Amino acid sequence: MSKRTAPERTEVGYRLSRRRFLVTSGALVAAAACTTTPARAPSGGVTEGTVKLSAWTIGPDAPSYYRRDNLISAAETLNKKLAGKPTVEIDATFESGGQWGDYLQKFTLAAEAKTSPDVILAGHENLAPWVGPSYIVPLDDLIAKYQSEGGIKDVIPTLWSAMKLKGKTYGVPQDTEARPMYYRKDLLAKMGWSKDKIDGLPEAVKKGEWAWPDFVATAKDAVAKGVVGPGKGWYSRPSKGADIYMFYYQNGGEMQDTATAKLVIVKDALLKHFQIHADAVRNDKIMTQSIYGMDAGKEWHPTVTDGKVLFYNAGSWTWKDWQATYKVPEQSLWDNVGFMLIPAAQRGGKPVTVSHPLAYAVTSNAKDKDLAFRLIANATTPELNSRHSVTSAHLAVLTTQKDDPTYKQDKFLLATQYMLDYTKFIPNHAKFGVYDDVLYRFLGAVEQGQSTPAQAVESAVKELQGQLGDELIVK
Amino acid sequence: MARTEAIALPRERQGAAWWRTNATALLFMGPAMVLVLVFFLAPVVITFVMSFTDLATSTGLSNWQWIGSANYERMFRSQFWFTILGNTLVYVAIVLAFNVVVGLGVALLSLHVEPKAGGVFRALWLLPRISPSVVYALMWTWAAASPPFGMLNYIVAPFGLEPRFWLQSDPWLIVILINGFVGASFGMLILTSAIKAIPEDLFRAARVDGANALQIVRRITLPLVKWPILFVLVYQTMSLFASYEYILLTTNGGPGLYGTETWSVWAFHTALANYYGNLDFAYGAAMSAILVLLGLGISIVLLRVFRFGQLVAEPRVEVD
Repeated sequence: MSKRTAPERTEVGYRLSRRRFLVTSGALVAAAACTTTPARAPSGGVTEGTVKLSAWTIGPDAPSYYRRDNLISAAETLNKKLAGKPTVEIDATFESGGQWGDYLQKFTLAAEAKTSPDVILAGHENLAPWVGPSYIVPLDDLIAKYQSEGGIKDVIPTLWSAMKLKGKTYGVPQDTEARPMYYRKDLLAKMGWSKDKIDGLPEAVKKGEWAWPDFVATAKDAVAKGVVGPGKGWYSRPSKGADIYMFYYQNGGEMQDTATAKLVIVKDALLKHFQIHADAVRNDKIMTQSIYGMDAGKEWHPTVTDGKVLFYNAGSWTWKDWQATYKVPEQSLWDNVGFMLIPAAQRGGKPVTVSHPLAYAVTSNAKDKDLAFRLIANATTPELNSRHSVTSAHLAVLTTQKDDPTYKQDKFLLATQYMLDYTKFIPNHAKFGVYDDVLYRFLGAVEQGQSTPAQAVESAVKELQGQLGDELIVK
Repeated sequence: MARTEAIALPRERQGAAWWRTNATALLFMGPAMVLVLVFFLAPVVITFVMSFTDLATSTGLSNWQWIGSANYERMFRSQFWFTILGNTLVYVAIVLAFNVVVGLGVALLSLHVEPKAGGVFRALWLLPRISPSVVYALMWTWAAASPPFGMLNYIVAPFGLEPRFWLQSDPWLIVILINGFVGASFGMLILTSAIKAIPEDLFRAARVDGANALQIVRRITLPLVKWPILFVLVYQTMSLFASYEYILLTTNGGPGLYGTETWSVWAFHTALANYYGNLDFAYGAAMSAILVLLGLGISIVLLRVFRFGQLVAEPRVEVD
């Protein structure tokens, strides 16, 4: 029987025996496992007498930074009321120029990881998917408890309804807006329109005297006369967004059933919605086929601010964004640009716009939900909301703002406030994203000539039924 | 028999002996095995499991339910699954052909010119690969922008072509070129080194025998780089099936009705990119599961077509 001998370590000194290797490796692994992570203060944790609150907000338009700054101001007000018992510290962020989808995804992932902020700003329709997994909390009890805090009791009642899902309120309106149809006064003048007629256009639209057929005829005329280039009679929104539903609503569309909260599609309205876009691009050629997918920052806005397009629909906030980002002097806008509701489908009909109220919500991750809500309530005052409104061209959410000196001085806000009487909202439904995706793709298909409007309606409804099942009502 | 019984070890000692023999190998392979399990196998298993649930933003991790095959039924209820599958196969086939043919062409050409010039030529082809994906894609979107913008419009103008919004009028051309140029550089790298590894004697002998360049490529180079070509084909096929970023950043699957939407872009849009925030994780997972099966099936076909078994077989003649 042979005897095993230990290897000659002197000969192969660089070698490690298997036993030593195993022992050393095991010790290292054990040591690594036992090492604690560096001690750090709990994120936003409560320290003695101080509550740290965090909040995420977004523009994406740059001038909407008061969505963050108003919370910081509110913390100061709240601290005076609390008199140090406790003291609130606020860590608020504002995303400028980003994408809504990325922002919402970031919040979703943070909520699952229990690292979401105490307060989140989002569109009212974004709240619906967050209710199921309880990423945000219902606010009804807090609203009742702190009714006198800030301007909570003065919120415009219709805006509260946009914050509700299944009877519960999940957000406090932060701002709202209208989405006007802008028009170039200088180009209409070139076409021979009188100043009175140009200035009277918003009123004529409001009364239903100047409707969609007039709009199309004017745009065609502008192209024919060479006042604008081909396809530059009308620019619609080049990407996804609530704006596209203005033309569906204009033609009698409905999006959500009030009794069941299910999503609704009205086939006749959808056909007309598709038809006006198909006509604009393919038949009347008042809108360029390139509109679908056009780069907003590099093409859409530079072209419209350059005065090369007769009509273009956009948000009220873009009025300030054109000044801030595209460096158009305000006086130049007043001199050359007008704004009106989306004209009614036919004369005598009702014009329309769409609003998309943003809201502050309290997350389930909030350490002190009462304080988080009180922070929001103190950011909801005529003074703070008005300074946000005038800076970013968003409309009032409080009945008291109309008397606020800052708000009253803003000509643009006063001139667009009436549009809220004609406004519609997009649905609060967890599956609205699916609905929107299908309709947006089919809108692209009719604009690109891949489908006729009639084919698109049939296919779109079939696709919606397949994807949404019982959650869809077809009318 | 008695002899066998005499040397048989008790079970526990058998185990100890096995451990002595294999412990080091296992320890060295362990980290790699853990990585494969955690980053390759586990995601596939999780994807398949998730595809049988209704997990979405609106359910979160706390509120989901098992829903059986409902996601698969929903997927095949869509009128567009066949269009998207067709898009995927066409995209993979054309880009793959572009990658391999252009990659091989660049490798051969750059090795048949003066070495320094060949190196510079290959370095230029590497630029798309070393550029950050987003920067590279954005440069393409700007180059293909609608008139009067877009560098492509200026390039084609002297040839009498009308200016156009290339991402809309010719979306596939842009998608194929943007992916093709990146992929070609991969093929070029692998095949350049493979061709360089062929013993020079073979080329000299062929030239002595009077073979021209084309005959040398056909009779010597190509048969000897068959294995690297197979590698490039299989690897690029898998990469292309799963790739989505350049399509997402340029055409975003459009224009219109899933114009350039491939299966992976569809899965990404569904699971991770909803404009109104309700991410349909489970439905997207069902789409990804189909993609895994598709990729697996095509890999097996490719390996059989190229007789992978023969390529990796022990050589019949032992060379020392």
